[in-house]
Amino acid sequence: MARDLSKVRNIGISAHIDSGKTTLTERILFYTNRIHAIHEVRGKDGVGAKMDSMELEKERGITIQSAATYTSWKGHDINIIDTPGHVDFTIEVERALRVLDGAILVLCSVGGVQSQSITVNRQMARYRVPRIAFVNKCDRTGANPQRVTSQLREKLELNAHMIQMPIGLENDFDGIVDLVKMKAIYFDGDNGEILREVDIPAALADEAAERREALLEEISMFSEELMEAVLEGGDIDPALIYDAIRKGTLALEFTPVFVGSAYKNKGIQPLLDGVAAYLPCPTDVVNFALDLSKDEQEFRVTNHPDDKLIMLAFKLEDGRYGQLTYIRTYQGRLSKGDTVFNSRTGKKVKIGRLVRMHADEMEEIDSCGPGDIVALFGIDCASGDTFTAEGLAASMSSMHIPEPVISLAVIPVDNKAQTNMSKALNRFTKEDPTFRTYVDHETGETIISGMGELHLDVYIERMKREYKAEVQAGAPQVAYRETITMQSPFDYTHKKQTGGSGQYGRVAGYLEPLDEGEYEFVDAIVGGVIPREYIPSCDKGFQKSLAKGSLCGAAITGVRAVINDGASHSVDSSDIAFQLAAQGAFKEAYLKARPVIMEPIMKVAVEGPSEFQGSVMGSLNQRRGMIIGTVEEGTYTVVEAEVPLSEMFGYSTALRSLTQGKAEFTMEFATFKQVPKSISEELIKKYQAEKKGQ
Amino acid sequence: MAKEELISGNPLRVLGLDNKAEAATQSLGLVMARAGLGKTAILVQIALDSMLRGNRVLHVAIGETIEKTRERYEDTLSKMVGDLSEEEIGELSRRRMIMTFKEHVFSRGMLEERLKDLIQQDVFAPDCLIVDGYDFDGNGRKHLEDLKQLMAELGIAVIWFSAVCHRDDPRVSADGVPAPCHTIDDLFEVILLIRPKDKVIKLDILRCAYCEVEPGTTLLLDPSTLLIQKS
Repeated sequence: MARDLSKVRNIGISAHIDSGKTTLTERILFYTNRIHAIHEVRGKDGVGAKMDSMELEKERGITIQSAATYTSWKGHDINIIDTPGHVDFTIEVERALRVLDGAILVLCSVGGVQSQSITVNRQMARYRVPRIAFVNKCDRTGANPQRVTSQLREKLELNAHMIQMPIGLENDFDGIVDLVKMKAIYFDGDNGEILREVDIPAALADEAAERREALLEEISMFSEELMEAVLEGGDIDPALIYDAIRKGTLALEFTPVFVGSAYKNKGIQPLLDGVAAYLPCPTDVVNFALDLSKDEQEFRVTNHPDDKLIMLAFKLEDGRYGQLTYIRTYQGRLSKGDTVFNSRTGKKVKIGRLVRMHADEMEEIDSCGPGDIVALFGIDCASGDTFTAEGLAASMSSMHIPEPVISLAVIPVDNKAQTNMSKALNRFTKEDPTFRTYVDHETGETIISGMGELHLDVYIERMKREYKAEVQAGAPQVAYRETITMQSPFDYTHKKQTGGSGQYGRVAGYLEPLDEGEYEFVDAIVGGVIPREYIPSCDKGFQKSLAKGSLCGAAITGVRAVINDGASHSVDSSDIAFQLAAQGAFKEAYLKARPVIMEPIMKVAVEGPSEFQGSVMGSLNQRRGMIIGTVEEGTYTVVEAEVPLSEMFGYSTALRSLTQGKAEFTMEFATFKQVPKSISEELIKKYQAEKKGQ
Repeated sequence: MAKEELISGNPLRVLGLDNKAEAATQSLGLVMARAGLGKTAILVQIALDSMLRGNRVLHVAIGETIEKTRERYEDTLSKMVGDLSEEEIGELSRRRMIMTFKEHVFSRGMLEERLKDLIQQDVFAPDCLIVDGYDFDGNGRKHLEDLKQLMAELGIAVIWFSAVCHRDDPRVSADGVPAPCHTIDDLFEVILLIRPKDKVIKLDILRCAYCEVEPGTTLLLDPSTLLIQKS
């Protein structure tokens, strides 16, 4: 029997760190009977929350790697991806959003919309993910869900409206008023599992009526039927209200706001009702794939189980059960024993075991269909690969992947650690496209690079814990780049004659700056002066030269190499001779092309009480930061600036002492910019000294 | 177009801003129009012209986000610029800072506090202020006089404001300055009014203390780019 896709929800839970999203997920699993006891994130029972299955996550109380889980609620199948909150791990958030249809945006009722919520919201907007908001922690001192809702409107520019209101706040937070049903809901029983729906307390009746009226006015624009019913007056069928809210939410023109306290077991079941009622099912969302046989032309995936299979591997994990590949199916069916194709490698892959993941436990299944998020065993692939049925050359559109901005050397302490480290790095680079690794041929050191200090810290910890790879980490280094600023010609002959067959190759042409992209090779040879078989050798030679620039040893980007002349020898020319000729040519032209050093510039947002605004700006100025602007919110201010990453090491400590710990900051990569002359000279000097010292 | 040409070829030159307005301290300028006709676009061109001439500009956007304000500068610059180098563009952005306020949060007192913070902490000392979204209905003559005093104290040469006028409000001053600024027009040295007429958008110079042209002279706005053109 065909699965009813209207009852499927693929949702993510995203928010600022410490907003309580892991606790919320834990409660969702409890109320949907997937787990039978509640464990807190940093609980005294030592078990830890279900979704934080990695040791490190349990210890630090933060979610580092998203885990997918499946549950069901009132006849709806819900796939949940728990996503990390720290900005260093946003690739995880972005990947989750890529495969999800809807999301819950969790906010702290005290902290409100914080900087990370803004980043997450921007990501959700990029992938057009409809969302509902959950204002958590209403039991905390200073809780103010109304203020948070206003911030959603002002800071995130969402048309957010509360569809519930709290009954009491802080210590007196007792339950909620549902403004659609116009009922008060209390959460009884040891774990809030028994819902008691009663009349709204008299003291809140007027406020509830007022808020409902404002809500109806707002949402009636999404439904003519509701508008008519409102104009006619009298009782309004809740189904009309649900329908209007759903339409507004799916069109990304309305964000319903729920309230509660996950920790106090209040407000979770109505939120689940909201997921089922307002968030989209797979067929509500339009997804596109690229037709590889038609020059990557976009086409709409059908969500139909009878069509040819298309699925995306969005996450790899190496856990206790071996390698797991999380996939989302967009059309077609996948069954155990099927053979599918990896669009990137063209390789055939046979599907062995197919499982539905429940955090770190799993359930064997025989097949899955459109909209499903499941995991496969023993598949060799990279994150972001597309799998299709035979005869369908398609790929899901590529994900936005930022360039790494920070790197450090890792040195294994012994031979065993060396072997284990290799295994670990191999796994991590497959799992996380923002994590890269390479060997510095001059120093022989293994270098890892990523999106921030914490990002790399976590991988070093994981190497130690999961792979028993004891490593020493060097100081973090900024990932500089080198590039050229003007055209420069070359005409280089590589000639070697030392007995036996010699080496001969001549290449001529020019290097020039490339505005977009890292490298381009242009073959403008006419008349066969360089034989066809040696053209790829030239390309390879240039590419080898890009690995390390001569100014500060950074990778070279933004270069177009054009060859338009050359010469060969019938006996002495070879692949290696032309590779070496190209390398010689590059060396000859590079320094004449006025190379410069580029550094990563970070977009930094510091949020704190207004009284510290001056000193915060001063601190950013001192760090070569360019203040873009300030946002005055009343009692607190956000300062936005662009600051070189090299100046941001240790900023959290400096900021803490400047602001008595009252301000916080986030940063994300913005762009690469040329370093000032004085710093460029310093970097060159340092690199020369290092080279001499070797 | 090189930087010098961008400055000398700018139609704003007729206002005489470069040699007089900013040399004399505490000048106030005003751009008026009905909603949606491009007041901010004019203010941004005035700001860019000032920045190109080496001044530092603080853009105070009331009820607008940093991102949108920044985009306006980038858009306008890309429309104006021929061949400014990346270095020159970078240098130009260093001469600008954006300060945004929520409508309900903005007050003269708060602006004063923030300005003093910026200048005293040696973060940014503006020569020119652009105040977009100022509420002329709610703030009268006294506020503007106080602001002039503050300018003298902080060494700010010029402040440009935008003001919204309404089609259905017939009040005007003797010089033709519409409400809500008709009773305070004497405080401004330069007043420009954006006026759409027969598919063209005109920029009337209602008052101009330093102008090389007679008051009543009109500039034009390109309707697609909203760049100022000579009539």
